[in-house]
Amino acid sequence: MAAADIRITAEPIDNQRCKFVVSVPVLEGGVRRFSSADEARGAPLAEAIFGIPGLAVSELIVSGNLVTVVKQSPAPWQAVGKAVGAAIRTTLASDVPPVAPAPSPESGNPAAGNDDALYEQVAKVFDQQVNPMVARHGGHVELIDVQDAVVMLRMGGGCQGCGMADVTLRQGIEGMLAQLVPAVRGIVDITDHATGANPYFQAAKK
Amino acid sequence: MEAARQIGVELTVASEQASTFAGANPAGLLTLDFKNPERAADDVHVFARTQPIQGVVGVDDDTAIVAAAIAERLKLKGNPMHAAEAARDKHRQRQLLADANVPIPRFALHLLSEDAAELATTIRYPCVLKPLRLSASRGVIRADNPQGFIKAHSRLKAILAQPEAAACGEPAWHYLVEEFIPGYEVALEGLVVNRRLHVLAIFDKPDPLDGPFFEETIYLTPSRVPAPLQAAIRDCADRAVRAVGIVEGPVHAELRYNERGPWLIELAARPIGGRCSAVLRFGAGGLGLGAGVTLEEIIVRHSLGMPIPSLQRERLAAGVMMIPIPGAGALQEVRGVTEAKGVPLIEDVQITAHPGERLVPFPEGSRYPGFIFARGETPAVVEAALRDAHRRLEFVLS
Repeated sequence: MAAADIRITAEPIDNQRCKFVVSVPVLEGGVRRFSSADEARGAPLAEAIFGIPGLAVSELIVSGNLVTVVKQSPAPWQAVGKAVGAAIRTTLASDVPPVAPAPSPESGNPAAGNDDALYEQVAKVFDQQVNPMVARHGGHVELIDVQDAVVMLRMGGGCQGCGMADVTLRQGIEGMLAQLVPAVRGIVDITDHATGANPYFQAAKK
Repeated sequence: MEAARQIGVELTVASEQASTFAGANPAGLLTLDFKNPERAADDVHVFARTQPIQGVVGVDDDTAIVAAAIAERLKLKGNPMHAAEAARDKHRQRQLLADANVPIPRFALHLLSEDAAELATTIRYPCVLKPLRLSASRGVIRADNPQGFIKAHSRLKAILAQPEAAACGEPAWHYLVEEFIPGYEVALEGLVVNRRLHVLAIFDKPDPLDGPFFEETIYLTPSRVPAPLQAAIRDCADRAVRAVGIVEGPVHAELRYNERGPWLIELAARPIGGRCSAVLRFGAGGLGLGAGVTLEEIIVRHSLGMPIPSLQRERLAAGVMMIPIPGAGALQEVRGVTEAKGVPLIEDVQITAHPGERLVPFPEGSRYPGFIFARGETPAVVEAALRDAHRRLEFVLS
């Protein structure tokens, strides 16, 4: 695919985090999270993004057609987002897979076993507590993966695009996990909220 | 929320409808009756016995009053209730402004039930019909003659009969008829600290707002209005803030000016609405390289009495376009977003309308389908970028 055919939309979450919605799949069937340039080795997309000068990337999450970048640089996304977009475009336009699937626990990642155990605990909390709650507003929350004790989730139904989604995430789900699964270090919402078709609350009007 | 997280402040989010997590996180989520600020303040007073509250911030016209009630009850930094109420009630506000000789349009309060045809013969034209409570210029209509007045009255009556507008009760039975003030319009963003207004930004509105409806489009700062006139605008806003009795917190004012000087059109005890605040950065972003401090962080810091790093806006010019409502219908898709984002100086294009959402043009509607943000060396290049980006968007409605 030619780089020019790939469309990328940046959706800053805050000054540290930004989601890049790509018009083509980046990683099908799973999630990969990279928390350092060392971890990025062997994954061309991750190498390219961690290698952007001055960006100080601290975390990269790739899932489906979403690339979520967490940076330490104070530069606004508006100033640096284009470099990330260019890295994504160039990598996808090459013949090499941009990101390899997640290695299995047997492949030598000691944290993976812990993540599996955490996944089970978080999945139980989602099934038994989180989803029955958000279902009352027509929403649902899907546990995508746990990597290095960071939970990746996707919101759907009434939660997708909802004006209160961040409140649900930070004041609801995050607090619940902190209490029930304290080993969880963080949550990343990989929802494409812009495509939410039936949000429970409208976003602010002006 | 993000501002509170940035500075490590624990937050309790209050909402009118219960969050589905309210039971699971009773310290972080609170349900209040916003229509009854006194009762809401009582509830927060009880809540604060176990979860101490050190500051309160409203986020819109209604919650500004609830925040004032809570501040009074808990003796926190905030506005007195009467001031917050006057800031929301357009008639009460005009009475106070007129008493203080702040330049405002001539106004008169009328009941919707009055005979419009009879009233139309007694009014000076052009005039503007305004609901007392609706925000974002919804229901605001200019009339140039008696026939126009009767039509505008009929439309406004229908708008105020809609359930969410009628829910505010008596204020929905009334409306204002104001003199139309010709001139150039600006918006002023400010923070009142211990009764003193600090002007954070003056925004030019380069598109004429002459009616018949008053849909906003572009806000640009710094203002290109000559310095002496800017000083007069600041002075007018300052007098209005004092007249209404606002003593703490954010204010957003709309003013016009013409050969007779500045005129106060609207004053609200809240920050600029919705996503538009993203256009403002303060302090460290002075060279356009750092993130700077957001307006929300300044407001949260002020409410808690924390030091505010800077009230000086960054050096670069900045602008936001509230994307005009492209027509009536259900939104199918928005084309050209990537192209719009690719326009030099454009920082972001946010489409806030969701697929399937019914778009309703002014004056019945007021929900913009999205926002475009730009930053650059001068207001002129920022304005050009905003218009260029907007031209690349195509809204497909059914």
